[in-house]
Amino acid sequence: MPTVPAIVQPLTAMLRLPPEQVRMQKVIELVSYDSTIAAQCLRMANSPLFGRRNTETVRSAILALGLKRIQAILMGCCLNRIVPADKWAMEATTFWRHSLGCALVSSRMAKLIGYPDPEKAYLAGLLHDLGILVNTVACTEDFRRCFQQAQEQRIALHVLEHQQLGFTHCQSGRMLADAWQFSADIVSVVAYHHNVQSATVAPSLVALVSLSDLLCRLRDLGYGYYEAMGVDLAGEAAWSILVEHHPALAKMDLARVTLDIDGSMEEIISTVDAVFSPQA
Amino acid sequence: MAEIGTVKAAIKPAIKPEAEDLKDPAYLKIRDVIYQISGIYQPEEKLYLLAQRCTRRMNALQIRTPSEYLARLTTRADRDAELRLLLNEITIGETYMFRSPPQLEALRTVILPQLIQTKRAMGFKRLHLWSAGCSTGEEPYTLAMFLLEEASKQLAGWTFDILATDLNDNSLAAAKAGIYGEYSLRSTTDALRRKYFKPVDDKHLQAGDQLKSIIRFDRVNLSDPAKMTFLKGIDLIFCCNVLIYFDLASKRKVVQHFHANLLPGGYLFLGHAESLYQIDSNFSLVHFPGAIGYWKAPVGYIPKDKP
Repeated sequence: MPTVPAIVQPLTAMLRLPPEQVRMQKVIELVSYDSTIAAQCLRMANSPLFGRRNTETVRSAILALGLKRIQAILMGCCLNRIVPADKWAMEATTFWRHSLGCALVSSRMAKLIGYPDPEKAYLAGLLHDLGILVNTVACTEDFRRCFQQAQEQRIALHVLEHQQLGFTHCQSGRMLADAWQFSADIVSVVAYHHNVQSATVAPSLVALVSLSDLLCRLRDLGYGYYEAMGVDLAGEAAWSILVEHHPALAKMDLARVTLDIDGSMEEIISTVDAVFSPQA
Repeated sequence: MAEIGTVKAAIKPAIKPEAEDLKDPAYLKIRDVIYQISGIYQPEEKLYLLAQRCTRRMNALQIRTPSEYLARLTTRADRDAELRLLLNEITIGETYMFRSPPQLEALRTVILPQLIQTKRAMGFKRLHLWSAGCSTGEEPYTLAMFLLEEASKQLAGWTFDILATDLNDNSLAAAKAGIYGEYSLRSTTDALRRKYFKPVDDKHLQAGDQLKSIIRFDRVNLSDPAKMTFLKGIDLIFCCNVLIYFDLASKRKVVQHFHANLLPGGYLFLGHAESLYQIDSNFSLVHFPGAIGYWKAPVGYIPKDKP
C-alpha cells in the first residue's frame, strides 16, 4: 500500500472544512510547496476553460480557480507522486487525461443536471480511479499484463481486472481511500463507480461520476485504447439513479446532454493538454 | 441534360434577395407548398436561404418577382417539373467520404459482430443498408468500400447491398456517375483509391464497377408513404442531415417509417448533431465511441434497469 505523502494529511483535513474556514495563506503555502504543483495551477488557470487570462501569480491563480479546485489539483499532484515513473502500465499522461477529463465532465454534468456541488463532483471525478494507481504500484507486472489484454481485447479494464486479478481497481482504490481518510462520499465513488447499485453513501454522486467516466471512455478520454462497446445510457443503472434524485432529468434529451458535453469536449481536451503539457 | 444546364445558369451572378424581398408573403406561400410536397420546413430565420434558392431559379427562368414564381409553381401545367428543380436547389448538400471514422469503427467492432450473430442464428447471411438522403453519393460509396473491405474478414460468405436514395435528381445523377475530386476524396486513403476507383483526368476519380455493383440508386421522397411502406428488411439506415429540413410532424412520420423499414435489432444513424428527442421513443439511443446510433430493439427485449 503506497505511503501517504506528507502533504495529503493537511490537504484532506482542509478539504473537509467549509470554504469560509480555509485560510488563503495556508493554501498558497501548499501550492508553492513545489514548482510542479504551482505550474499546474497556473496552467489550469490560464487554460481555455477559464478564459485564458494571463494569470502569473499563485495568488491570482487561486482566485481564478477557487479554493476547492486548487485543493483538487493539489490532491492530483500528490497522487501522481506515489507512482514511480517506471511502473506505469498505461502512460501516466493517459491516466491523468482520463482522470482530469472525468473531473471536468463530472462538474459540467453536475451543473447541467442541477447537482448542488459541482466542485465536489470535480474532485470525485479526479479521484475515482485511485485504485489504478494502487494496482500500478502494488502489483505492477500483473496489472501491466491485465492492461495489455484489455487493450488487445478492446474490453473494459475492470472486467479484465476481475478475471485476472480477482479484484478491481474499485476495491484496491477503496482501501487506499479509507487508509488516507478521504471523505465518505469520495470513498463511495472510488469503490462503486463500476457497480453503482451497491452504493449506499452518496448514490447520486457515484452515479454522476460513473456516467462521466463512461462518457469519457466513449469520447476519446479513456485509457488510451478503443473499447468496443455500445451503451444504452437510458438503460444504465447509473442513469436511473440520477433520474431518481433529479426528476427533471427524465424529461431531458439524453442525446442533447451528450451533444452538449461533446461540444465542450474540445475545451476539456485542450485544458487537459494545457495542464499536462511537457514540463517547462 | 436540362437540369445540369440550369444549375450552371444559376451560378452566374444572381440578384441577391434583399431584406425587403424576404417580407414578400409569396415566400411564405412557396414555403408552404414545399412543406406540403416534401415535408421540408424552412423556419422564419432560414427563410433567407429559401429566398436565395428561389432567386436562382427565378434568374434561370428570368422571372422578376416571388409572386410570379409562386404562380409558376402552383398554376402552370409544368409546375411539378419546376417544383422538382426547386427541391434540387433546396436539398443541395456537400460532404466527403469517410467523414465519420468513429461511426465506421463502431460498425466494424460492435454493430456488425452483433448483427452477424443475430442474423446467423436465424439462418440469414444477407445485409441490407440504406443511405436515405445520399446526396451526391459520398456516403453510399464509403459504406460500399467499408463492406467490401469487411467481405474478406467478418463478412466472408455474406452478401450485402446498399440502397442509396435522394430526392434531388441532380445529386442522384452525380451519385450514379460517381466522379469525385479531391474535396470528396480527401479522407480516402491512396490504397482505397487505387483499389476501388479509376482515374478520369488528373483531378478526378470515378467509382469502379465493384463499388457500383452493390449500390442501387433510386429517387425516394421520404415523405411519400407509398414508397416508404414498400421498403422492408433493412439492417442499417443512414440518414444524415436530412431530417433537419423537416418539421416535427413530418420528422415523426419519416422516423416511424424508418422504424418499420428496419429489421428488429437494426440501427438508424443520424447526422452529427441530430436527435430523435420528442420525435420517436421506439428507438433506444445507443452510444458508441465517438458516435451515436438509434437501435430498434427486438421484440421481447427488456432494457436492464429501466425505471
